[in-house]
Amino acid sequence: MSELAIQTDKLVKAYSELKAVDELSLNVPRAAIYGFLGRNGAGKTSTLKMLLGLARPTAGGGTVLGFPLGPGQVAILERTAYVSETKVLYGTLTARELVRFTRGFYPRWSDDAVAKYARSFEIPMDRPFAKLSLGNRTKVCLLLALAQKADLLILDEPASGLDPVAVDEFQRVLVEDLASDGRTVLISSHQLADMERVAELVGVIDHGKLLLEARLDDIKSQYRLITAAGAALPHAKTADMVSVSASGDFCKYVLRQNAEAFAAGLRNQGATVTEVSPLGLREIFLELVRKEESCTSGNVGAKTASVSSPVL
Amino acid sequence: MLLHINPSSGVPIYLQIENQVKHYIASGALKPGEALPSVRRVAADLRVNPNTAARAYQNLERDGLLRTVPGGRTYVAENPAGLLKSEKVRRLRPYARQIAVEGTQLRLDPREIVNLVQQELEALEVGNERIGNSNR
Repeated sequence: MSELAIQTDKLVKAYSELKAVDELSLNVPRAAIYGFLGRNGAGKTSTLKMLLGLARPTAGGGTVLGFPLGPGQVAILERTAYVSETKVLYGTLTARELVRFTRGFYPRWSDDAVAKYARSFEIPMDRPFAKLSLGNRTKVCLLLALAQKADLLILDEPASGLDPVAVDEFQRVLVEDLASDGRTVLISSHQLADMERVAELVGVIDHGKLLLEARLDDIKSQYRLITAAGAALPHAKTADMVSVSASGDFCKYVLRQNAEAFAAGLRNQGATVTEVSPLGLREIFLELVRKEESCTSGNVGAKTASVSSPVL
Repeated sequence: MLLHINPSSGVPIYLQIENQVKHYIASGALKPGEALPSVRRVAADLRVNPNTAARAYQNLERDGLLRTVPGGRTYVAENPAGLLKSEKVRRLRPYARQIAVEGTQLRLDPREIVNLVQQELEALEVGNERIGNSNR
């Protein structure tokens, strides 16, 4: 049994000239909660569809739970619970009827789980799906996914429309019921504050490419924001930097590693380093995707000053 | 033990948990030999990844502050940090350096900086006494 629940190898999805997914190599270990993050149109949903066999890769491949990914892979589908971004189920059926319809497909279906989560999420079980609010529709989708007792859950915006109480219950379920049971969860979400609590690993995708894949703890202990004041601060972006922006005598640097050494270097040059602070996931994400947008070849981004200074 | 974490603060969650547990132990609110909630309980209550809670507990155990028995329960170590004096000093030095740097950058007098540390130590002792008194 491989230790990776999901592994892709230079996965590509192209629509004519446009590469929605561009040589993506994802690594999701078993029993991990993995946050799959990216802007709108970055390629998240296209990637998830390929994992589930709902779309055919243009190039590259991968495995899900050890099985090669591709269309009609029943072995993957019966072990993987999926909540799609669009919370669409048969509109005329009630949640109770949807349960009855769905349970036959999944060998490990748990009626106890249905009862438990219907209660803890306070799901209206006897109203037609189409008549439910978005939040309640999301809850029904989650219910059907959780009751499958799947080894792998792929959740696309699983908190869509959920009220804060339901979000809290969902997070409790993630950490208490899923993670503790050793199930793997891949979550694609824009709710970075929520992801920050529960995700162990994150993968950031932008323009179809994987910008970053690492343990969240490591990212947080390496990435630093450095603000400095001085006359001759360097403006050039080094390999360690995510971004640099200057305003008069002040400079703001976001480093992905070696922050202390960089700050020490600045101090040695006589600059005043006013701040070396850690960054939350939201700030890291914004710095990462913003910069990658303005740089096409990894050169100094458009926002930096034109003055060139010796790089430390 | 009431833990509270801020997931967006930039400080890794496992570190926040560690620091709070250390504070509880240092102030006497958690006594040597006292049992801690399980990793699973902590993770569920805080709504954080169990591996995060596990990492905090593991680090504290490595540092000699906690002890896990076969069977799984975790306790505050009887003799917290059975470390060599030199190792304790080595561990504390980065914090001392930080205080020295910060204080100097703020143009505080060295004596004022030392006083500050003294006040914090006294506050901890007072906290310890209060808890000791309330337990009688």
